[in-house]
Amino acid sequence: MPIWSSLPFFLLLSVVSTLASSPSFENTAVVRTVELGGAVVHVTTTYAIKALEDGSNVYTIAFSPDERKKTSWLEAKIKGQQNALPIEERLFDAERDYHFVDITLPKALSANKTTNLVVETILTHATHPWPETAGQKDDQALKYTTDLFVLSPYSTTVQRTKLRTLAPRIISFTEPKGVEDFATEGSASKSGATIVYGPFHNLPPSATQKFIKTYQQPMTIHYFHDQPVLEILELKRAVEISHWGANVNTEDEITMHNAGPALKGHFSRLDHQTQQFYKKPAPHVLPAINLHLPAGIRDTYFYDLIGNVSTSRLRVAPSLPKNKQGSQYSLLELRPRYPLLGGWNYTFTLGWNAPAADSISYDKSTGRYIVEVPIMTLFPGAVINDAEVKVILPEGATDVEFSPPFPALENRISTHITYLDTSGRPALTFEYKDLTLKHAQNIYVSYKVSFAAHLKKPFAVATAFFSVFGFALIARRVNLTIHPKKKAL
Amino acid sequence: MRSLFALLLLPFAFAAKDPQQQLVDLSTAGNGVIKLDATTFDLLTSPKRTWSAAIQLTALDKRRRCTPCMEFDPSWNMVAKSWTSVPKEQRNTHFFATLDFDDAPTVFQKLGLSSAPIVYVYPPAEGPRQPANGKTAPSKYDFSTGFEPGPLAEHISKHTPIPVPYKDPIDWARWASMAVGGLGLLFVLRFISPILTNRWTWAVGTVVTSLIMTSGYMFTRIRNSPYSGGGGNWIAAGYQNQFGQEVQVVAFIYGLLAFSFLMLIMIVPYQSSPYRQRMQVYLWTGVIMIIYSILVSLFRVKNRGYPFKLFL
Amino acid sequence: MTTAYPLPSNLSPATVANTASLLRIVALALISGAAIASRLFAVINFESIIHEFDPWFNYRATRVLASQGFYEFWNWFDPTAWYPLGRVVGGTVYPGLMATSGVIYNFLHALNLPVDIRNVCVLLAPGFSALTAWATYMFTKEMKDESAGLLAAAFIGIVPGYISRSVAGSYDNEAIAIFLLMFTFYCWIKALKQGSALFGTIAAIFYFYMVAAWGGYVFITNMIPLHALVLILMGRFSSRLYVGYSSWYAIGTLASMQVPFVGFQPVKTSEHMGALAVFGLLQIVAFGQLVRSHVSSAQFQKLLYASVVATGILGTAVFGLLTYKGWIAPWTGRFYSLWDTGYAKKYIPIIASVSEHQPTAWPSFFMDLQFLIFLFPAGVILCFRELRDEHIFVIIYAVMASYFAGVMVRLMLTLTPVVCVASAVALSTLLDTYIDPKEPDTGDDTKSESEATVVSASGTNGSSFSATPTPTPSKKIKKAAAAAAAPLPTSGIISDLVAATGGPTRRGEPIKTKGIFGMDSRLIVIMHTLAMLSFFVFHCTWVTSNAYSSPSVVLASTNQDGSQHIIDDFREAYYWLRQNTPEDAVVMSWWDYGYQIAGMADRPTLVDNNTWNNTHIATVGKAMSSTEENAYPILRKHDVDYVLVIFGGLIGYSGDDINKFLWMVRIAQGVWPDEIQEPNYFTPQGEYRIDDMASQTMKNSLMYKMSYYRFAELFGGNQAMDRVRQQQVPKVGPTLDYLDEAFTSENWIVRIYQVKKEDLLGRDLKSANAFGQGKKRKRTKPVPRRRAIV
Repeated sequence: MPIWSSLPFFLLLSVVSTLASSPSFENTAVVRTVELGGAVVHVTTTYAIKALEDGSNVYTIAFSPDERKKTSWLEAKIKGQQNALPIEERLFDAERDYHFVDITLPKALSANKTTNLVVETILTHATHPWPETAGQKDDQALKYTTDLFVLSPYSTTVQRTKLRTLAPRIISFTEPKGVEDFATEGSASKSGATIVYGPFHNLPPSATQKFIKTYQQPMTIHYFHDQPVLEILELKRAVEISHWGANVNTEDEITMHNAGPALKGHFSRLDHQTQQFYKKPAPHVLPAINLHLPAGIRDTYFYDLIGNVSTSRLRVAPSLPKNKQGSQYSLLELRPRYPLLGGWNYTFTLGWNAPAADSISYDKSTGRYIVEVPIMTLFPGAVINDAEVKVILPEGATDVEFSPPFPALENRISTHITYLDTSGRPALTFEYKDLTLKHAQNIYVSYKVSFAAHLKKPFAVATAFFSVFGFALIARRVNLTIHPKKKAL
Repeated sequence: MRSLFALLLLPFAFAAKDPQQQLVDLSTAGNGVIKLDATTFDLLTSPKRTWSAAIQLTALDKRRRCTPCMEFDPSWNMVAKSWTSVPKEQRNTHFFATLDFDDAPTVFQKLGLSSAPIVYVYPPAEGPRQPANGKTAPSKYDFSTGFEPGPLAEHISKHTPIPVPYKDPIDWARWASMAVGGLGLLFVLRFISPILTNRWTWAVGTVVTSLIMTSGYMFTRIRNSPYSGGGGNWIAAGYQNQFGQEVQVVAFIYGLLAFSFLMLIMIVPYQSSPYRQRMQVYLWTGVIMIIYSILVSLFRVKNRGYPFKLFL
Repeated sequence: MTTAYPLPSNLSPATVANTASLLRIVALALISGAAIASRLFAVINFESIIHEFDPWFNYRATRVLASQGFYEFWNWFDPTAWYPLGRVVGGTVYPGLMATSGVIYNFLHALNLPVDIRNVCVLLAPGFSALTAWATYMFTKEMKDESAGLLAAAFIGIVPGYISRSVAGSYDNEAIAIFLLMFTFYCWIKALKQGSALFGTIAAIFYFYMVAAWGGYVFITNMIPLHALVLILMGRFSSRLYVGYSSWYAIGTLASMQVPFVGFQPVKTSEHMGALAVFGLLQIVAFGQLVRSHVSSAQFQKLLYASVVATGILGTAVFGLLTYKGWIAPWTGRFYSLWDTGYAKKYIPIIASVSEHQPTAWPSFFMDLQFLIFLFPAGVILCFRELRDEHIFVIIYAVMASYFAGVMVRLMLTLTPVVCVASAVALSTLLDTYIDPKEPDTGDDTKSESEATVVSASGTNGSSFSATPTPTPSKKIKKAAAAAAAPLPTSGIISDLVAATGGPTRRGEPIKTKGIFGMDSRLIVIMHTLAMLSFFVFHCTWVTSNAYSSPSVVLASTNQDGSQHIIDDFREAYYWLRQNTPEDAVVMSWWDYGYQIAGMADRPTLVDNNTWNNTHIATVGKAMSSTEENAYPILRKHDVDYVLVIFGGLIGYSGDDINKFLWMVRIAQGVWPDEIQEPNYFTPQGEYRIDDMASQTMKNSLMYKMSYYRFAELFGGNQAMDRVRQQQVPKVGPTLDYLDEAFTSENWIVRIYQVKKEDLLGRDLKSANAFGQGKKRKRTKPVPRRRAIV
């Protein structure tokens, strides 16, 4: 299970294990492919490894601190296999300026056996707009910086780094220097939308102070990007479960920010309308965004601080109950009140109701309800800086258990009081950072609700009403006049 | 006669005295108002004037058919007259003058004026009273407040050394008539008191008042809209607008409808003969139906979008 | 004893009474439902949103109250309004409305009903309209009987004249004020009828609530004393009047002085002097009565009249003196402008400029009241027929209100209740007469008559109509007795009239037995009445849904396919301000939009709809109507960051700033007559144009430039057309040197400009701009270079 949500968490959990004194592996080939995006950069590194001694099953990879900081997701697999390998980060000690991560292979390799290891990482906030401001009609260019060599505690026969951009328009990239003793011919080449560094041959173990001092160097690529760079500064999700209404209500409070180059000068509606008329919108303007909401949702609402936003459109897919699979989505074309230009913000609230059957299942044997709660709505190509997911269970839910797909920064249980509650409802809160498309998974919560708890609310309401009637009944019959009333003259 | 005198005076004036003195003489001659022609106009508005001047450019000749000029002239003279009453030293630093189109058409052309009456106030260009902001260009009086002397005096007072001591003349006739009327009323009261104490006089009074009010009388009063649009159309176009005649028609319609209801309520039940009663019931119901549908169609004229209609 | 149609004779009076009261309750419930439902068009067509302009302030204040508590609200100083002056809100509002919704909000939350404060505000008006219907029912019941009461309740429930100011979302003082008005009047009538200090006190309490809720409380302050005065003059003084009035006035006045915004006005301003005078007069008269009981009545009359007249004269003299000395403030502008209708236009143009202060043309009367407007005189006449004390109240109310409604459109609101009451009285009398099954017959004795009446009563309440047994059969019997006692009359319309007008109050005059012969006359009248009522319902529904249910914040237009298209430019622009400008950016706009900007954009504004500072507003008017060079210093002095204008030229939204421009000019002219002159904004022919023929002053004015900046380019070469003015805009649009276009909404309705800071090199911005553009041009094409250099 890939566990990689944040550094502090891991400093707590990580177990100190000593670095193998003599290297037990060597890399026959290391290929790193970087898919350059806006807010999210997708890095795939393939290690072709060869065991040097028997029974070695812990392979170690290394990251520079900067890379480590930006990484919000890491997953290691054997090439061609589905299930991810268990990974574990070592404690970071200050005199090394690189991080080690141990990957436990499914079965130990005997000497001279080879296998291919695929390590996927996702970097967030790895690019920044350059120039930092752009006029309404200008293009949008980003800069991305990475290290030339992939660090590894093992010696590497051949290593190559590919950087791929979406648009085949690359403004500039850095030429590596002082690498003659690895590179035979030209160490960097550009073809279309791709830049290749390397191949570099016969690298010594690169995860050493000496190597980094002498050879490691930052490579910066400056390229045009045609999609707006979208950041969700904050996502507050509240999921409220009601057994009476057989309904699950989900509500997201979202703060959007266009992290592209800040608008230079001012917004001119005329230019905007001209661009739209000629069907070539500026790359950093975000007029609308398409969201995938669950199938079978009802009465979706979309409002901000001053009321309904009348401009968005929704196509609902029919409901599908939990057990059977299906990949339909309700498509919401979410159009903010105004087009989102570089550096502009927009906050709004998006909510919907879904039939409980789609996400809740009841386990007869244990008498527990099990509900699955998606952590986030998928914002294509966007990063969610701070996320808070709050699951509000029905009133009177007892022995609550939950299992998040990956541990949260912080989670707590509180009480939430809403419509006609007498004793509030248990509410679970999870907090996350830097979520990306890979994190769009489900939290599983299971709880028990006694029959009496179900009846609590109607009983309370009934009592209230009856007391009112009773009072009226009495008040009607009590006569408080001091002396019998005279007839009006 | 007056102007003639002024004209006679002119040559000496130019010969002898300094311009201000001439103007003083002229104004005294024209008891407060200088009757200008082209030359005296230049004299009065000379670029190095130490005095201020208020000039009425008008066309009082019958042939010009300038009714506003006619209306405005008296109040102008009144204000000018009131200025003569101020002490000499202030009086001689501000002049009222009238320039008739027929005396000096050239001036009108020079100022590029096509309409009359117009009042220019020239602040002094030199001397102690020269305006602080140095604007010596004449300022035009805005007639939006009408031709009354009061506002005019107020406006001019802004440019005179001391305010123009203008007061509206007391309308003795009005007061007298009111007094007489009051007394007469008191006298008559003794005889008509039975009528006054009868509730039905009050009833009629009340109902008539509210009828008139609810048919938009105050609107015509405040907007002083015409009695009728002329050319026989007496219905003003537009939902927020109406003519004087509509008040009468609508009030009458309301009144008639109310009356027929009252007949149904108060008279019909007291009929002793079933036949007469039935007739009256049908009559008044019919009246209500017809008049009501007339009313509705009238409303449709005013409010085009109104979807409903009755029999017609 | 013949009846037109058979009646169930075996009903016990108790059954009748119970059925009747049950029917009454059901009817009232249904009426309330109808009243609320008919006000929800706006919510259903659009959304739950606050309407118009003033409600946005009330809403904002309520939010403060709900979030920070009453104490904070009470001394809330709002620095963002009237920048840089600020506004002491606690002391300058009628807090009744906010307090009401605050209480409701807290109550609901105490029940764990987490209702959004906005929804409370939106639905407050409909809720109170149901209460108004009930209050009107109670009031009319005092006038005639329950049946009339129910009719009146139904009328006021759905009559457009009241709906116009109480649809869901129009969260304004009037929303609750009309209920308070009617209920105070009801309590007053009760107090007067029973001479009960209790009801007088209740009236006083509700009067206090009214004072706290609406400036229109002055209407009550003068209505009740006027009523009392008339009663005295009619020689109807009684201990009941004395008790009722004294308790109301004493408690009510003291209570009303607790509202900070009112303070000592009740004893210092002319609007309140009438009440005080009548109070004094009452004391004298009461004293007179005391004396009378000791002195023989012969010389007493003289004594009384003499003293009354003397004190009257004395009082007026003192009052005059006080006013002259300035201890009593003379009539304030708004009220004075009701009497001297020319006053406002001349001296307070701001008040005159408000659309709801315009006089009312007859179509609006018919639109708002439909057939009630001509039933109303009939009802008044009926009040005259049976001239009890409370009827006099209705009569005075009728006269006063119809005058006020004629003078100001918004005062239609005060007319509506009395119209409903009077016409309900008329209509229910009609129905009583024609549903009553009793066939007239001659010569009968009191007893059978009385039975007849009771039977008739029982008969009527069966019908779907609101006719129910009269509360005091005994009275009716008396009337009937009187009727029966009458000798056989001579026929003839005159005697009819006499008989009819004589009414039941007179005794011993020839009155004939009344009643209707046969079914057909009954049926035709009833059918006819039913038809009119249903027409009324259709009318109300249509008017409400079409005229009164659009929240001027959101505009609706229909596409070609008839589907509704929502134009949401205002909120788009306001929200942009809120999200993408610094918290303390000062926004300048015409005062109409002040509250909306404060409410939705949450930014400081120069002026807003609380038009208390003429000079400040005139400053804005001046800035808008003078040239850029002259406006710039003004803008900088008030450190304005953004200027917001409303421009409807693209989609034909007629309520835009160019159409309001002349008011800005006028108001500015009132303060700076020699800098701004209205005539300069017209063409020499005196037309108001915006095309090539427009006057130079017009073209150079800031407002014109901001409205039409780059507008012509939108039409790319073609002739640009202003759809509101129906005029062609000059091909070469205006240029701006001191402002930058910051934001323009989708349909160009809202345009926001940023005020440039001073040029860094200390040049004036005009030349700086010219220089900059010269630079640019140099690169593109050589020709203008010379111009740039020279």
